[in-house]
Amino acid sequence: MTAAAQGGGAPRRHSRHRFRPGDAFLHVWGLLGLVFLFFPIVVIVVFSFNSGRTLQTFEGFGIQAYLAALSNPAITNSITVSLITATGTAVVATLLGTFAGIALTRRSGWWAPGLLVLLGLVMVTPEIVSAISLLPWFVTLGVDAGLTGFNIGQVRLIIANSLFASAVVTFIVRARMTGMNETLEEAAGDLYAPPFRRFTDITLPLIRPAVISGALLAFTLSLDNTVVSSFVSVAGSTPWPVYIFASLKASLRPEIAAMSTLMLVLTLIVLGIAALILRRDPAGSGKGAAGLTSAMVGR
Amino acid sequence: MTALEAPAAQRPSAVDTKPSRRRLRLPRGLGALPISVWMLLFFILPFGLVVWYSFGYKPGLYVTHANDILSLDRYGEAASPAFFAIFVRTLKIAVMGTVLCLAIAFPMAYWMAVKLAPKWRGVVLALVLIPYWTNFLVRTIGWQISLTPQGFVSKTLQWAHLTDGPLHVLYTSAAVQLGVVYNYLPLMILPLYVALERLDPKLLGASRDLGGTAWNTLWHITVPLAAPGVTAGLLLVFVPLMGDYITPTVLGGASGSMVGQMVAAQFQSAQNWALGAAMAVLLMLAIFGTSAVVGGVLKVVGRIATAMTSLKLPAKEPS
Repeated sequence: MTAAAQGGGAPRRHSRHRFRPGDAFLHVWGLLGLVFLFFPIVVIVVFSFNSGRTLQTFEGFGIQAYLAALSNPAITNSITVSLITATGTAVVATLLGTFAGIALTRRSGWWAPGLLVLLGLVMVTPEIVSAISLLPWFVTLGVDAGLTGFNIGQVRLIIANSLFASAVVTFIVRARMTGMNETLEEAAGDLYAPPFRRFTDITLPLIRPAVISGALLAFTLSLDNTVVSSFVSVAGSTPWPVYIFASLKASLRPEIAAMSTLMLVLTLIVLGIAALILRRDPAGSGKGAAGLTSAMVGR
Repeated sequence: MTALEAPAAQRPSAVDTKPSRRRLRLPRGLGALPISVWMLLFFILPFGLVVWYSFGYKPGLYVTHANDILSLDRYGEAASPAFFAIFVRTLKIAVMGTVLCLAIAFPMAYWMAVKLAPKWRGVVLALVLIPYWTNFLVRTIGWQISLTPQGFVSKTLQWAHLTDGPLHVLYTSAAVQLGVVYNYLPLMILPLYVALERLDPKLLGASRDLGGTAWNTLWHITVPLAAPGVTAGLLLVFVPLMGDYITPTVLGGASGSMVGQMVAAQFQSAQNWALGAAMAVLLMLAIFGTSAVVGGVLKVVGRIATAMTSLKLPAKEPS
């Protein structure tokens, strides 16, 4: 993350000595903004230590909710489903996105603008629209066309979650490839390296940070996916966010907050790894979180 | 897949002219083929099916859709007053939410990118990213807990005599408004930050040295240079906000429902896929229509602004 800070580190000679009301306002505004952003997360973490029976009313402090969550088979099953889905999504999205990202920069042709628009559309289509399109489609393929593979919950979830994620991976890899000098690959070609070795020995190591962070992002995106998953999932393979969404209709129990806190810790670990990888990126074109953001914004 | 083969007339790249003729030549852009097929199968065709359903009808109580008679009647139904009111409410919440996000995010992104010492920038950026990557639904539930009439926020406000009775915000459109501003705020901060971080501090210094007031500098240097970030942020917030389904479900209740829920209800409880499909198509049209209009207006405003600044410059030169 600190790599992002290297960009605009010009000396700031003024503003040290006298009080500026504008700056004071900005500092207060920024800190209040951070408080606002963290407010509901802190609430969830605090209420996960609620020993009462319902989530909303805090009765006492205790870790019963964690023990109850970890011994509830419905919750642990949903976590397993989520983790399998997230891993599958990461694999599919990384394979599709990496090859597409490379092709878009190195082997681009008349199809490139079309593909970029298509991936952009995938990213901006509201989740609810993707959800209601995929549900009848899976029914058509699985029931009407008899392709029973599409009736398996896990398959449906991985396909549904991989759409957005592979678009994100494509943009990240593309951003990395754009910032990379092509001469190394050309040199390998001049030295009679066959294309496959040129890919495994030169291209892949150079874009490895983008590929790994793309995979980790795909993993966390899938862990987060609620709307599309809740439409396509079938009984027996309910992922964790869908389990929470379903239990909203009954009453929320502290176990939900407890398991959410554990999942938050998992997400933070995954993001921390992604940040570390981007930070060690020698070429610096990843530029840490800022690069990640601009890759996602698509600029 | 002849479609993806390269036009032979195209100038061969340096790599292709190398004497490795023995090997099988793969068509250019083969790497993009899997993702194209994947998106065709699971994005374009499913949406095409939805568009097809939207011209059909619901034949009976236990049948979701039929397409033997095609008509535009479902679109008429989807635009009926009851549904139209929810469309309007959704648009209101989305426009208001996007504007509020911009108003909150711009000073914050400016603070992060310009005022904050470089060593803190990465830390604060990470702090903004953490809520963004926390589960959307869980964050929204955090607000639900906070806003309940018996909740701690309500009790604190009553204790401080800021409200007379318990807080009655939950399950209203005000709660949805708060929820969406919260949920999409990072999507506005991040592109603004990226744009402002690329801003050369020397430009700000130059403006100050030339006697520009803080307001002048902000208006003539910072805002125009942040414009791409603003456009990206407006799109990133407005588009998913229009189709939001989770926030109004968790915080909205009956008086704060949005189009996303309406579409979902047609596919789940009402089992009227034809009507739901028509609503989904209308939602997509509304989103892209509004984005196109706003994008066009922003472009025109940008041109006028450039024209006005460039008009000013020659007038100053003689003096």
